[in-house]
Amino acid sequence: MLLLDYGNLLIESLLKDRFAPGATPTSIDQISGEFDNTSFHISTPESKSKILISLAIKCYPELVKYGAEEVLQREYGSLIVQPESGYDFSVGVDLEQLPESEEEKTDLIRRISLMKRNALAAPFEQAFDEFASLQEQARQYTSESAPQGVREGGEVRAIHYREEEAIYIKASHDRVTVIFSTIFREETDRVYGKVFLQEFVDARKRGVQNAPQVLARDDPPLELQGIPGIKAGKGEVTYVTFVLFPRHLTPQRRAEVISHIETFRDYFHYHIKASKAYIHSRMRRRTADFLQVLRRARPEAEEKERKTASGRTFTVKG
Amino acid sequence: MAPQTPAVVMDNGTGYTKLGFAGNDSPSFVFPTAIATKGPAAGAGGSGSGRPAVGQKPSFLTGGAGPGGHLSAKRGTEDLDFFIGDEALGAAAGPGYGLHYPIRHGQIENWDQMERFWSNSIFKYLRVEPEDHYFLLTEPPLNPPENRENTAEIMFESFNCAGLYIAVQAVLALAASWTSSKVQDRSLTGTVIDSGEGVTHVIPVAEGYVIGSSIKSIPIAGRDITYFVQSLLRDRGEPDSSLKTAERIKEEFCYVCPDIVKEFARFDREADDRFKHYEVQQPGGRSVTVDVGYERFLAPEIFFNPEIYSSDFLTPLPTIVDTVIQTSPIDVRRGLYKNIVLSGGSTLYKDFGRRLQRDIRHLVDARIKASEARAGNQAKSGGLDVQVITHRRQRHGPWFGGSLLGQTPEFRSYCHTKAEYDEIGPSIVRRFALLGGPGST
Ligand SMILES: Nc1ncnc2c1ncn2[C@@H]1O[C@H](COP(=O)(O)OP(=O)(O)OP(=O)(O)O)[C@@H](O)[C@H]1O
Ligand SMILES: [Mg+2]
Repeated sequence: MLLLDYGNLLIESLLKDRFAPGATPTSIDQISGEFDNTSFHISTPESKSKILISLAIKCYPELVKYGAEEVLQREYGSLIVQPESGYDFSVGVDLEQLPESEEEKTDLIRRISLMKRNALAAPFEQAFDEFASLQEQARQYTSESAPQGVREGGEVRAIHYREEEAIYIKASHDRVTVIFSTIFREETDRVYGKVFLQEFVDARKRGVQNAPQVLARDDPPLELQGIPGIKAGKGEVTYVTFVLFPRHLTPQRRAEVISHIETFRDYFHYHIKASKAYIHSRMRRRTADFLQVLRRARPEAEEKERKTASGRTFTVKG
Repeated sequence: MAPQTPAVVMDNGTGYTKLGFAGNDSPSFVFPTAIATKGPAAGAGGSGSGRPAVGQKPSFLTGGAGPGGHLSAKRGTEDLDFFIGDEALGAAAGPGYGLHYPIRHGQIENWDQMERFWSNSIFKYLRVEPEDHYFLLTEPPLNPPENRENTAEIMFESFNCAGLYIAVQAVLALAASWTSSKVQDRSLTGTVIDSGEGVTHVIPVAEGYVIGSSIKSIPIAGRDITYFVQSLLRDRGEPDSSLKTAERIKEEFCYVCPDIVKEFARFDREADDRFKHYEVQQPGGRSVTVDVGYERFLAPEIFFNPEIYSSDFLTPLPTIVDTVIQTSPIDVRRGLYKNIVLSGGSTLYKDFGRRLQRDIRHLVDARIKASEARAGNQAKSGGLDVQVITHRRQRHGPWFGGSLLGQTPEFRSYCHTKAEYDEIGPSIVRRFALLGGPGST
């Protein structure tokens, strides 16, 4: 697995199971975690044929500020129900009122499994829209005459989606900048992370022309100056900046780009861990090889001189 | 780290892996403990000899193409090119991939494969950041301490998991039986019969501690029963006698009878009722019908009369259970007889527990009679209570027990944390405080 999937596999497989023709409704009661302090509760509180899927996400109030409710309304419309207590957002699926066609069913399953992705997509969508309008405005000016707002771009949207890590999104008239702040729990991870990030940074040099520009540094980039909670100067936090250019922001590409970039942090940490696993397997193999060498190096039983009864030595004639 | 993240509970068995979150009443994922990697399969029967293909470079040097990248096609990412679980079976059916089972007889044999299996379990299936969660893993009885250390090394060094507890499957299985109405006191004393895919263990546990010297294992478990069903299907020349069909028939139709001779007679008498049919959908859309006959009761009978299947292992399960208890310290024997708990997929046959209880009772009663006779019938013993517990959570017993204990408020304090591991090293996991033992709720 190179890329992480965007949807939640548990929701997907549970719903697929229940949506199958001839499936008998059974009660469900499962909690499930997800990346980034997200949790789900999938249950059948009322009757076996009514499945309730609830999402709790740490930064939900921030997401709401950036338009999450509209995005979720658009995606889930009539499925939305009163949020279950302890959760931020719930949808209900009635197995007796499923869409007819297989395609629609598959689409519904997929959509529900993407609940976290969609909630988190809101600030990105907002920023992408802002970019479009700034771009529109900028067309009317030369770069000098543009008013302050257009030249500098919009405000920075901050999403504190993990305890110590955040995503910052800023739209300008010619780009959208997405900055991840991330922390490594371990020195080893930091080293792996460095190498890994270098690959991102270099991707464009190596001919991946379409890749967004990536910068990685240990102090807050310019865009984040003056944002509350950001410590100036070099520190523990690594800032990874993605610059999305207009070609990434077209309506056709936008959904995919958002899905992709949302999973960046987890993708990044997944690969660091997978790399460690890989190095471990090399080390195990090395050890096994060394052990084999050692075994081979054991001195063979030396051939003793053989003598006849009278004391003469045997010689082997060729 | 958010204080509320549920603990991750993973029970990796020889045949199936159960994955999920503490607090749930069933695992979120159950799939074969299999991994498909590039290259040919390990030789059949070989003991974990298959080494995964290892590329020249780790994939962080190659997979980092980022959005829209095509670099991955140019540079090797072999170490990430693998599948686990049902997807592994699918991939191995096609060309290019070999199928491996990293666990044999309950113990991890191939650490490279297991590490990748876990990586995928965590990131693809559970979708959690291991740094945010405590993990509860299970181990078979008599697991060598080195295996624990290897496990800890992977969990803490590769995955940086926040905390780790490794529990013995049998102890968890006892905890799982607390849901049964027959169990009055939540004690961790009892005899666990854990029969899954690879081995059957009979494990005496006294107050949460496994009595290692008395454990016995039996080389008959789910896989053997499947083979036995398959051989019967083959002998009769059924139109489909694949392993998969044999397994389905085993799981759907088999039961334990009180007496085979009578059962044969009953089949002849009530043929219509006893003989069944099983429809198999073959690839290509054809469907064939397989007759299901005497294997219904003969297959699980090999627990009670092993000679019908094997010529080198001949001791019936009830006798083994009795021996295990008799070789345990005398002061716990009463508790061991009173609480014989079933666990694992291969104990699910209908009436398995009932037959076991009857047979063990016979053995015990016969012994008591004999000793009374020897004593000249002077003293009458009060008898011994033999009780076999069949319960609803038996199938995933160890997982469910883990889920129960993993959700308790004190669970985290029983774990070793990443910080402790960093300070002391892998040997820290040689000991764990007893979870769910006396004193805790
Ligand atoms: N209803 C059933 N009746 C009989 N056998 C069953 C049933 N359901 C599952 N099994 C068998 O149980 C076995 C799997 O059990 P389980 O998941 O407990 O094993 P495991 O934990 O993978 O292996 P082990 O404990 O030996 O390491 C398989 O052989 C399967 O065919
Ligand atoms: Mg097991």
